[in-house]
Formats: sequence, structure tokens, C-alpha cells
Amino acid sequence: MQVKATVLQKDEVAPQVHKIRFFAPRIAKSAQPGQFVHIKCGEEQNYILRRPFSIHQANSSDSIEILFKVVGRGTSWLAKLKVKDSVDIIGPLGNGFSLKSRPGKIMLVAGGMGIAPLIFLADKLAKEHTKTYTVIGAANKELLLDYMNLKRLTRKITAATEDGSQGVKGLITDILPAAITEDHPDVIFACGPFSMLREVAFIARREDVDCQVALEELMACGVGACLACVVKTKTGFKRVCADGPVFDSREIEW
Amino acid sequence: MSRPDLAVEIAGIKLKNPVITASGTFGYGREYAEFIDLNRLGALVTKTITFQPRSGNPVPRICETPSGMLNSIGLQNNGAEAFAANDLPWLAQFDLPVIVSIGGDDIDQYCRVTKFISQVEGVSALEVNISCPNVKFGGLGFGRDPRMAADLVAKIRTCSTLPLIVKLSPNVGDIVAIAQAVVRAGAQAISLINTVLGMAVDIESKRPRLKSVVGGLSGPAIKPIALRMVWEVAKAIDVPVIGIGGIASAADALEFILAGAGAVAVGTAVFMDPQSPIKIIEGIEEYLTKNGYDKISDIVGALEIAE
Ligand SMILES: Cc1cc2nc3c(=O)[nH]c(=O)nc-3n(C[C@H](O)[C@H](O)[C@H](O)COP(=O)(O)OP(=O)(O)OC[C@H]3O[C@@H](n4cnc5c(N)ncnc54)[C@H](O)[C@@H]3O)c2cc1C
Ligand SMILES: Cc1cc2nc3c(=O)[nH]c(=O)nc-3n(C[C@H](O)[C@H](O)[C@H](O)COP(=O)(O)O)c2cc1C
Repeated sequence: MQVKATVLQKDEVAPQVHKIRFFAPRIAKSAQPGQFVHIKCGEEQNYILRRPFSIHQANSSDSIEILFKVVGRGTSWLAKLKVKDSVDIIGPLGNGFSLKSRPGKIMLVAGGMGIAPLIFLADKLAKEHTKTYTVIGAANKELLLDYMNLKRLTRKITAATEDGSQGVKGLITDILPAAITEDHPDVIFACGPFSMLREVAFIARREDVDCQVALEELMACGVGACLACVVKTKTGFKRVCADGPVFDSREIEW
Repeated sequence: MSRPDLAVEIAGIKLKNPVITASGTFGYGREYAEFIDLNRLGALVTKTITFQPRSGNPVPRICETPSGMLNSIGLQNNGAEAFAANDLPWLAQFDLPVIVSIGGDDIDQYCRVTKFISQVEGVSALEVNISCPNVKFGGLGFGRDPRMAADLVAKIRTCSTLPLIVKLSPNVGDIVAIAQAVVRAGAQAISLINTVLGMAVDIESKRPRLKSVVGGLSGPAIKPIALRMVWEVAKAIDVPVIGIGGIASAADALEFILAGAGAVAVGTAVFMDPQSPIKIIEGIEEYLTKNGYDKISDIVGALEIAE
């Protein structure tokens, strides 16, 4: 659906990282963790494409949140929004994380901004009393986003930072194998940069754990019509926007 | 006061209004049906179909550019058979002329897809996408050369009795010569323009932003080019022109209509606003009412040029 959503709250939660809560009851009611929204940034004709953002939270039934990093024109525009501003949003789009097989233990793996869709998921899992463990990585302590939320929502957090300011000094993929050995998850839900996800998929296969990954790709329509945002899978190109953004990691041609 | 008549006739098919969705930006309609009432559109042009399935190009396939975007999707589609089995029957529920865009690598492939599409239900017209590279001629686009374009269209004409629209590429020296050649070969309407060749570079990685290096530019950035071509071609031929290129508002559409377009197609604009075709229809109607015209045909080609 396409809605006009009013900004209810906006916070800069870390340097250049913002969280915005929009009043969007129709989207909030049907949103599933892993789905995304496609946001019109700017009023002028010179923004040709909407910008996609994971739904970071949609549990209040009338609002949704996004968590994003300022990286270019569209996100700079979003970062300047004020409470009461109105924004054109399409969503919820895509397929979220699949919980069909009712896994016993779940491991969330979040690299950098990859935490964005996983908070919504963690919240849902906590409500269902699923045992959830988190492995999180970022450049530094400040960018280990939503740490307190995760502490509340999941049983255990293992962290890595590139500068060693919190947790282990290194990459998330350095600490993942040990976390798997220790916590024995039935399934991994991962989001982060493509190179990280490739490594996570590889580790998951080696450790024989199911793994779902939320992918990003340059998008135009966001609804499955234009075939811009494809990813190579074992059965040919699939659309990240409409067939994903969450895929079984074994399906992807890494 | 009665409402103005927006109906137009293109290549012998009746459209309830002159606003069409362009090929490749609207899929086969399904994805947009939740956003707009497809019954309100003048017509829908499908993503280009080839006889055999095509997997398309590697990513990145798109890149946003000032007032536009580049794409090189590479004609990804599931082939004519899958289209006829899965998409055409679904489209049949709407009161909507379906124009099937067809492509190929050589004349034989164009003829095969033409014949196949011509014997299935639910097709109102064919739009021949002649921007495809002709692999038998070193990959030069069919649309680049009047002779090659005319030969292709003449051959397709013999394969089908469906109304025939030919979509031209703007990446040519003399667009009028090509339009005249394909009309002589049997085109009953001309769509123009397809995307303008372009490229973009990421200076940090020193790489082209599109994996295939070069792609097609679309969006408001190409509107003046498209408008100029539509004006030149509409004057020179006596079949209708479907104006395409950067149309995002009723005012844009009206510019094309005044310049001689009998209908318009909306492409890239639906990405930003799926409602844009509907807003354009409503805006055209408003313009006619405000200026006291009873019908759209009163303003087609009504451009006034001072002596
Ligand atoms: C399904 C999905 C979910 C996403 N969720 C989040 C999220 O929760 N938080 C977050 O910070 N970011 C997220 N992203 C990335 C986000 O869409 C980009 O950071 C954003 O589009 C950049 O826009 P810009 O105009 O600021 O950047 P520019 O670089 O100026 O953008 C230029 C063009 O490239 C596109 N683009 C640039 N980077 C990306 C990217 N990584 N992925 C897709 N398109 C990109 C833009 O949309 C735009 O069309 C997500 C991407 C996808 C595909
Ligand atoms: C993503 C994308 C895919 C396209 N695919 C096709 C196609 O399959 N066949 C075709 O004839 N034109 C295709 N086009 C061209 C459009 O139909 C249209 O001619 C062009 O984009 C200019 O119009 P616009 O500025 O309104 O988009 C495509 C354009 C885009 C942006």
C-alpha cells in the first residue's frame, strides 16, 4: 500500500545514524520482520527513485520505525525530517524471515546497519518466548546499535568491533563459529554487508545450521516489476524486492 | 457541463484515454494492481517478451543519475510461452488493451515470437522493440538503420494480423528517416523514444556504475530529447505517435500531445509514484475542461509556432 505517514519521533541514535518513527497504522498492522518500506525522499523531480529501508520496528500496531545511516542524498534528506512532517511510503514490501519450521533456538547475526530488520524480529521472537542469541559486529562501540534493546530481547549477546572498543577486536565472522559451537542454534537469521553474509552463509553450511539472509541491491520499483534488483540464485536470477529480501542462504550463488 | 472525451484510437485499437504504461517499467501489470485500478489505464505495454526465456544482465543493473536513471536489465523475461500461460490470462480480467512488446536477436526470433503471440487470446496489439541488437549484424541495433528496421518490420508484418506498433530507439542519426521507413514497411503507430544510451562512473572504485558499462537513460532528463523527436516524427508521418520519455505529470504529457503525440506512455515515473498514470489522466481531463475543449483530439499537434 501507498500511504502518507507523519513523523512521530526522530532521534540521532549514533553519529550519522537516525531512527524515525512514522504514524502508519495500515503498514504496521501487516508488517512482518524482514520486510521493507520504499520511501519517497525529497519533493523535487531530481530524486528519481525511492529509497528502501528495513522495517526496524512495527509492534505498536499504529507506527513503524526505520533505522538508517546517512550515506547519500536520500538519507541526508530523511535525516532532516522533523516531527509532524509527512512522507510518502510504500510498504510493507517483500518477504520477511520465515519461521515456518518453528525453530527451537535462533541466532541473530547483525553486521553494522544489518541490525535494522533484526530488532523487529527479536521483539517478535521474545514475545513468543523463543530462545534467541545475538552475534553483533560493527566498526566501533558507538555503532553497536540497539545494544540495550538486544540485551532486553535476547538471551545472550556476543559482540565484535573492528577497533576493539567493545567485545572481541575483529570481525563478526571471527566470533560466529565459536558462538555457534556454544549456543547450538537451529537457524541463523543474518543481515549485513554482502561480503559478510557470504562468509556467514559459508560458516553456517560448514556448521550445518540453516541460515536466512536479508539482502540489499539497487532497487527501482521495489515491487517486482522492473527486474533491477536481482540476485543470482541456484535457480536463476531472483528479485531481491519481491522474491526476497530474505533468502535461504543455500539458494544464493555466492 | 459534460466531461471531455479522452478516447483515442491508436493502430486501430480504441483506448479510453491516451495514457499507457511503458514497456519494462510496469512488468505485466500484476505488481501494480494493488496500487492503481488497471481498468483506468488507456493501455498497458508489457515488458519486452522474447521467444525463449532470457536471464538478463548481471548487477548492478541500474544507477540513479541527475533527473534520471540508467538501466541495463538485458531483456530478462520468462519467454513467450510462460507469458501466455501465466500473465495474459491474468490480464484478461481487466477492461484494458494489452500491447505486447516483442524483441529478439535476429529476424527469425522476432518472427517466432510474433507468430506465437498472434495465436493466443487477449492481445490487442504488438509493439516491436527494435532497440535490440541484431546479433547477425555485429550487434548493431535494428533500430539504428532505416533499411534494417524496415526489413524487420516488413517481415513481422507478414507473420501477424495484429495491429503493429514499432518502438524506435533515439540513438540514431536521423529519427525521421527511420520512422518513415518503418511506416512504409507496415507500422500502424510509432512509439518513441526508448532509452538514450549513457553511462556513469564511480570515481572511488574507478568502475562503471553499471556492470554492463553502458545502459539506457530514462526519466525527466530525456524529456526534451523525446519531445523534439516526437515533434519531428509526428509532422513527417501519417500514423499516430505514442510519446514516451520522462513523462511524470499531466503537463509533461500535454507537451507531447501538443507536439503531435496521439497518446503517451509513462515509464520511470511510476517508480517514484505508482499513482502517476492516474494523476496524468486526471490532469489531462482537467486541462481540457479548463480550456474548453470537448475532446483530446482537439489538442493533438495543436502546437502554435510563431511565423
Ligand atoms: C531491502 C533493503 C533494506 C534496507 N534497509 C536499510 C536499513 O534498514 N537501514 C539503512 O541504513 N539502509 C538500508 N538499506 C540501504 C539503503 O536503501 C541505502 O543506504 C539508501 O538507499 C541510500 O540512499 P542515499 O540516497 O542516501 O544514497 P546514494 O548513494 O545517494 O543513493 C543513490 C542510489 O543508490 C541507491 N543505494 C545506495 N546504497 C544502497 C544500498 N546499500 N542498497 C540499496 N540501494 C542503495 C539509492 O537507493 C539510490 O537509488 C536497505 C536496502 C535495501 C535494498
Ligand atoms: C528499468 C527499465 C526497463 C525497461 N525495459 C524496456 C523493455 O523491456 N522494452 C522496451 O521497449 N523499453 C523498455 N524500457 C524503456 C521504457 O519503456 C521507455 O521507453 C523509456 O524508459 C523512456 O520513458 P521514461 O522516461 O518515461 O521511462 C525500460 C525502461 C526502464 C527504466
